[in-house]
Amino acid sequence: MTTIDWVVLFAWLIFLVSYGLWRGRGSGTVDQFLLAGKTMPWYAMGLSIMATQANAITFISTTAQGYVDGLRFVQFYFGLPIAMVILAATAVPIFHRAKVYTAYEYLEKRFDAKTRSLVSAIFLIQRGLGSGVAISAPAIVLSVVLGWPFRVTVLVMGGLVILYTASGGIKAVTWADVQQMGVIMGALVLALVIAISRLPADVSFMDAVRIAGAAGKLNVVEPRLDWNDRYNLWTGLIGATFLMLAYFGTDQSQVQRYLTGKSIGQSRLSLLFNAVAKVPMQFFILFIGAMVFVFFLFVQPPLLFHPGAMERVQHASEYTSLEQRHTLAFEQRGLAARHIKDARDKADRAAAIVEFRAAQARMSTVHSEAAKLTGENDTNYIFLSFVTHYLPRGIVGLVLGVIFTAAMSAISGEINSLATVSVIDIYRRHFRPEATDRQTVIASRAATVFWGLYAVAFAMLFGQGFGTLIEVVNQVGSYFYGTMLGVFVIAFFIKRVGANAVFSGALAGQAAVLAVAKFTSIAYLWYSAIGCLVVIAVAVPISYAEDKPRL
Amino acid sequence: MAELGNDDRKMLDESPPVLGTWPRVYTFVLCYLAVVIAAFYAITVHFAP
Repeated sequence: MTTIDWVVLFAWLIFLVSYGLWRGRGSGTVDQFLLAGKTMPWYAMGLSIMATQANAITFISTTAQGYVDGLRFVQFYFGLPIAMVILAATAVPIFHRAKVYTAYEYLEKRFDAKTRSLVSAIFLIQRGLGSGVAISAPAIVLSVVLGWPFRVTVLVMGGLVILYTASGGIKAVTWADVQQMGVIMGALVLALVIAISRLPADVSFMDAVRIAGAAGKLNVVEPRLDWNDRYNLWTGLIGATFLMLAYFGTDQSQVQRYLTGKSIGQSRLSLLFNAVAKVPMQFFILFIGAMVFVFFLFVQPPLLFHPGAMERVQHASEYTSLEQRHTLAFEQRGLAARHIKDARDKADRAAAIVEFRAAQARMSTVHSEAAKLTGENDTNYIFLSFVTHYLPRGIVGLVLGVIFTAAMSAISGEINSLATVSVIDIYRRHFRPEATDRQTVIASRAATVFWGLYAVAFAMLFGQGFGTLIEVVNQVGSYFYGTMLGVFVIAFFIKRVGANAVFSGALAGQAAVLAVAKFTSIAYLWYSAIGCLVVIAVAVPISYAEDKPRL
Repeated sequence: MAELGNDDRKMLDESPPVLGTWPRVYTFVLCYLAVVIAAFYAITVHFAP
């Protein structure tokens, strides 16, 4: 990092926080603080929903997925447009008409207070854990890259988030996200352009794409159904549809965004905008990872991408031998990549691919041995290593600043929704039903600070050890979403099921998901579908049994 | 469920900015998804090792 990079990084941080504070001014009533006075246009809601997911993890982890595993992760998002259509047609008008602050408030109107409390509690546990991951995971990576102590990184990140979220509420969160999204996309496009422009002169863009394909990185769609395979067409179309329905239909961090819409139409458009934009966007981000992989076929990558681990491994007695084997395997792999590019016919290409795979396997072996020596998984450092070494001065600072604020964006949305549920579904429902508007706003600000500090404390306690970050976040959600979705599906569509039946169903659904996670190897994308179906399968018969006349 | 007021009805009746009705917009989104998946499948097959 040069001086200009540091200047750009801090200028961006100051700009975004100030902008959030400025746009969030006037949030002095509950309606303004929690729902932005229902004044948000569709594009702001849509970009904000997208920014919450296109967070630091997108930069750090999705690009790494593209590098390591190819493009198949995009299948995870195939369920998103389907879910968005279902939610635009059902949940959006229901929530708007019910005039609620939280999705769980609706459950008391439909069932009873205990169902509302149960689902609110599940949300608080699940999203509370999520907020911890959201701050700690990117902080680990950024602290290494920026050279800051981990705790300082967490404190700076958490402190800035608490400042503008507690001050400006959902309005500050949403408008900061809109700015964020534009710069994120600009930075990603720039990274792709640089990865391609720095390829050797005789390797064209199409050559790079063909090499990526030969290396197995353009494996976008896998039509074969395998229950234990995380990403294939069917987990995407069926399993992910349930997960997305649950995330966007029952998770307050998302529901709250589209509740800020000035009309049902605006809220619907914000979801449908995501339905159209999200899949190509994820494809694009994964494709950047694949192109960075091709870039490192011709420019030697470090033995380890984690700078700290690299320093440690240099002191190991095995280092010289590892580095020599790494260089040799890199040269052989680069040669094989050129043979793929220059292949004259299918047989030539097939032989070159065999040669490439053998060299790739040797590189992977050396890399694993080096990683084992340090005990570090360096997957999450691949893209940042590329950014810090190959992007122009000043742009490095901007990209790192954007990653920093992207992490803040995700955290702000989470603590804002946690505060909303704590105040509306717990404080005002159970402790102070007669609280005035002013008292509720004060309680909301206090709850925002509380959840912000909670996330910071969680991050401090949990150090390294996360695998690929995005999967950790999705897995935490998958344990709980099925139950929440099942309750809402019954609330919306199965009118005969009452409070007691749905409550029992919810407990059974949660137990079923935890059992499946513990005792089977079924991929986590199916958990939401399983939880939802168990809730319905248990609640519906109970409701019939309740109707039977007692003798 | 509470009776709908005039404001509620107005909110519900709001047309989309394109394609005339919401069901048509939904159909468009789902057809778009099918085309995107088909294109991705074509990429997978074309560039397969």
